[in-house]
Amino acid sequence: MAFKYSDMLETIKDRQWALADIDWDAPGADKITDEQRPGLKQFMADVVWIEHVGARAFAAMAPKAPFEALGDIYRYFHAEEQRHANAELALMKRWGMLEEGEVPVPNKNIRLVIEWLDRYAEALPLTVIGAAIPALETALDGALLKFLLDEVQDPLCAEVFNKVNNDESRHLAVGFQVLNDLGASPMRIHTIQTLGALVDPRILAGGVLYVPLLTRMLANLNAMGLSEEKLYNAVMRYENVGGRSEFTRRVPGYHILKAHMSASIKRSQPLHYISQRLGTAIDYFPTEVLGKPPSWTEELTYEPVAK
Amino acid sequence: MSDTTTVLIVGAGFAGLGTAIRLLQQGIDDFVILERAEEVGGTWRDNTYPGAACDIPSLLYSYAFEQNPNWSRAYSGGGEILDYIKTMVDKYSLSRFIRFGVNVTGLEFDDESALWTAQTGDGPEFKARIAVMASGPLANASLPNIRGLDTFLGHKIHSARWDHDYDMSDKRVAVVGTGASAVQIIPELVDTARSVKVFQRTPGWVLPRPDFSHPQWARATFRRVPLVQSAARQAWFWAHELMAVGMVWDTPVTTGIQLVAKANLRRQVSDGWLRRQLTPNFRAGCKRMLMSSDYYPALQRDNCKLVSWPIATLSPNGIRTADGIEHEVDCIVFATGFDVGCKAGTPFPIRGADGRELSDEWSQGAYAYKSVTVAGYPNLFFTFGPNSGPGHNSALVYMEAQINYIVRAIGAIIEDDLRTFEVREDRQNQYHGEVQRRLASTTWNSGCKSWYLTTDGYNGTMYPGFATQFVRALSEIDTGDYLTTPATTRSEHQTIEHARNGSKVAQIAQGRKSAGALPTRSDVKPDVLVVDVGDVPPKRAASRVRNDA
Repeated sequence: MAFKYSDMLETIKDRQWALADIDWDAPGADKITDEQRPGLKQFMADVVWIEHVGARAFAAMAPKAPFEALGDIYRYFHAEEQRHANAELALMKRWGMLEEGEVPVPNKNIRLVIEWLDRYAEALPLTVIGAAIPALETALDGALLKFLLDEVQDPLCAEVFNKVNNDESRHLAVGFQVLNDLGASPMRIHTIQTLGALVDPRILAGGVLYVPLLTRMLANLNAMGLSEEKLYNAVMRYENVGGRSEFTRRVPGYHILKAHMSASIKRSQPLHYISQRLGTAIDYFPTEVLGKPPSWTEELTYEPVAK
Repeated sequence: MSDTTTVLIVGAGFAGLGTAIRLLQQGIDDFVILERAEEVGGTWRDNTYPGAACDIPSLLYSYAFEQNPNWSRAYSGGGEILDYIKTMVDKYSLSRFIRFGVNVTGLEFDDESALWTAQTGDGPEFKARIAVMASGPLANASLPNIRGLDTFLGHKIHSARWDHDYDMSDKRVAVVGTGASAVQIIPELVDTARSVKVFQRTPGWVLPRPDFSHPQWARATFRRVPLVQSAARQAWFWAHELMAVGMVWDTPVTTGIQLVAKANLRRQVSDGWLRRQLTPNFRAGCKRMLMSSDYYPALQRDNCKLVSWPIATLSPNGIRTADGIEHEVDCIVFATGFDVGCKAGTPFPIRGADGRELSDEWSQGAYAYKSVTVAGYPNLFFTFGPNSGPGHNSALVYMEAQINYIVRAIGAIIEDDLRTFEVREDRQNQYHGEVQRRLASTTWNSGCKSWYLTTDGYNGTMYPGFATQFVRALSEIDTGDYLTTPATTRSEHQTIEHARNGSKVAQIAQGRKSAGALPTRSDVKPDVLVVDVGDVPPKRAASRVRNDA
């Protein structure tokens, strides 16, 4: 059956939820142990920020949508990723990981990604973001959320991530559909776009930030106890869903991202070495020179109600 | 005043009163104006929100035949415009013609008597030989189709129905919408309310408004030397007319206008993300251009916040956006526009000759001949009818052209003692097809969603051209465009030549049963001899063009 973006848009509108729908004072917050708390705090902070930069990527996609329904869908997805970040922040607050009014500071890698998105996201072709978004959502969201549900015993965590997962399933459905639709373009268009992207310094700079970020997140997950098998399954999902689609395989960006994710999970050399060194270099980057973060990063809040 | 008059005008706003004045100036005083409210003024009576003003300079947003030298500033406020309207009413003693509190609920043409009847709910009926629709396209305020609209327990205000008794001073206020009304309301609200949250769906292009006060000496000069005022009006007119090159048609000038608007945004907004949120994603002119110098500064005030997240639903305490946050507010101001009456359907049932329903015929989109007359609806005239909206110039210039056309036609009907005066369907289709063809290259049809278009993208609202073109097109009545029947029934064919404009001659069939002679109707045989008609396009040619567009 043909995918109808307008129907999906209506479904999205029907399935909206708010932080105020959740009882943040419900029992279960004490299930987080003192042992878990420090590691989980850093981990959750990264999750929050990844959701948040994902939101910004959707914001960049909305104006590029070739028709109105998809543009509106991206507007909602932008907001929904923000909602996920807000909800995750609210979980952190519930678990006593945040002071009043505190928002965790992004790690340096994410800080650079924020800066890069702010400067160049609008310049990226839809094919590039269109391929990257489902990759990140399957790999990171899939793995992260699965891990959290396994590790955290607070029932509210399951409730929140159940809602988040439902949203994400729609993000993935649209993401893969767009990728498939983009794949139907003539091969010469793909070739030109890919060659253009590969020599575009803005996109190359994005790659230099993205590659170590993925390595770092996978390493963190692994260090926190997420099995490599689960990580591998999450990554394979991108490959499997894309492979089943009619035209997705025609998108070079899909193959590049798929190969990179597979190599990251397997720690293939020399990519792993380069990625780690890049990560180290980023850790030494004086992010202070970037000045004040863009104001969209100030939109995060754990408060369900803005008075 | 009897219940049957020569002319019946629906609406005592700018258009209805302008028509009345022109009728009086033509020596026609057998008319009635039906007004549903208790006061004159239409849009300017209804829109009394703080900051209400016209985004066209007052010297131009007034009738050429009734100029006002006393405008206090370039862009006068709504109150001053309403005063101007009331001054006209007093000057011409128009109140004697107006029936206030009469809400027209239907208009029906009777084939036998060739009279229009206005139903007014449970009230009396009004009959007239000629009916003029002057009910205005922006008369009916519309609340947006937002989920949970009825669940909100706080105060709700529509911009066109402002509640002046509601004290904003210590209130948290949400404004939904960022169109022409909103950009005027928001700067006022941030001055009075405790906090203002502006919920934006689509940002518009904003140009600075060169507003300045008219000094006393200028007003005195306008009073003493009306030619100077006319010259000033002409200067404004041609400055706006020039803008059509970029605002009506999608041209490099459109890009130039966007660059000016972007420079204005950059000058007024320092934050990059806020600029990004306020940058439109459509061609300038596609939606109504916003004219404001204080909107951007107001958005950046400490007590104001722009929210560009989609609204998920209204809740009892406020507005929930898709980022999962509930914005608690005391009052929601809906600056969300109107049910635009001129693009599809009719404000109330209008039944023409042979029982035809205009709302049925316009259900897919409105059309008319020169925006004024519709085939099958004899002796009925529209002000602000289909495809008469300007995107770049004063609506009153267009309205005045329509009024002059209508009054001239009414003069002909009276002078020649015509029973019916009805546009030929082929001429209407030809005209409409041409308008739709020309609309394809305009900014309005360049891909954005606006109130100019129906949901399926049909543009029955705007006129694709310069104001000068529109005025010229309506400057004469070509009798070859109309079928007329005389009031007295005769059996033989008769040729009527209108002395007023003898350029074309219509030969018309007489003595038929039905008054509203229309070649395509089943009861009327096309026994009409026509001079100089030209090629007749297929019926509903306009629809075909519409699909292509």
